[in-house]
Amino acid sequence: MSMLRGFLILVLFFLFGEALRLVFLIPVSGGVLGMILMTLTLMLRGRVSDALASSSQALISILVLLIMPGVVGVFFMASQFSGQWLAVSAALLLGTFLSVLTTLLLMKSVLRLSARSQAND
Amino acid sequence: MTELVERFVALPGLFSASPIFAIGLTLCAFFAGNWLFARMGRPLWMPPVVLSAVMLAAVIAVLSVDYVRYQEGALWITVLLGPATVALGIPLYQQIHHIRAMWIPIVVTLPLAATMAAVYAVLIAWAMGATLEVLASLAPKSVTAPIAIGITEQLGGSVPLMMGGLLITGVVATLFVDLLAKWLRVEDERILGFALGLNGHAIGTARAFEISHTAGAFASLGMGLTGVFTALVLPLVFRL
Repeated sequence: MSMLRGFLILVLFFLFGEALRLVFLIPVSGGVLGMILMTLTLMLRGRVSDALASSSQALISILVLLIMPGVVGVFFMASQFSGQWLAVSAALLLGTFLSVLTTLLLMKSVLRLSARSQAND
Repeated sequence: MTELVERFVALPGLFSASPIFAIGLTLCAFFAGNWLFARMGRPLWMPPVVLSAVMLAAVIAVLSVDYVRYQEGALWITVLLGPATVALGIPLYQQIHHIRAMWIPIVVTLPLAATMAAVYAVLIAWAMGATLEVLASLAPKSVTAPIAIGITEQLGGSVPLMMGGLLITGVVATLFVDLLAKWLRVEDERILGFALGLNGHAIGTARAFEISHTAGAFASLGMGLTGVFTALVLPLVFRL
């Protein structure tokens, strides 16, 4: 029962997010809007109920199952994007290499700067 | 006897009209993929979702089930992605004390790094002549799957192509973080975790939890914030 009650809260937040998206024409999915509202609500309340914690844990643990029907589609669209596979692979491999490099360098230098400014205080 | 065989062979076609067949197939592949993953010694370069998806695709092809029909039945599963995305708000809330502890590095790094994760890929693909649909499918490549599906749908990309890109990104981001961290002599677990979650979403986060609990917490935080930031900014930028 308690898990189902938690699920109901998740569904209501999702529907509220969808309603916001459709009424205010926000180009962000209802799920993301619901997630942001959920985080803000929890920050205001300062705690998570057991029902919500258990049902969110249950859903998160089967995320892989939920995305599988979408992943399978990769194998049924090979011809659709023919001629673009080189661009896609280059973007994924080189792009990810560059973005990892950027994150590490950025985080390293910002942490060093903030450590130095704290030492000066 | 031959009639019996004929009716037996026709079964997949008759079954595939019902959603419960798609649900059963997907569940089978899910458990089989997890089993095989454990059997292979949990390799980082081959996440269980890839194993499950390969098996599922093979079964669909062998039984000659219509893929579109399978998707219709599987809607009973995928429709849960909405509430599951909302559920991600709960661990994000539980990680929020990390933001309070070091909000300056996070506030400076995250918007720039999350933007560049999308920009590098889109620019490279665009320079090599990819179509707008492909670009829209590549842009959310560092975002966790449930959020990325929402983004791709909003941008008008192809969800299957995006999912393929997402998986490859997760795996190579994990490898590159290991490689580049050694090269740049980054040993701070908070940086490693953050970089893994930001670039490699759930796959990178799984790797971060193997390094340490701190790395895992920062990976979850990086993944969650990248998802929210990208979901809010990308659709606005892409409209231009």
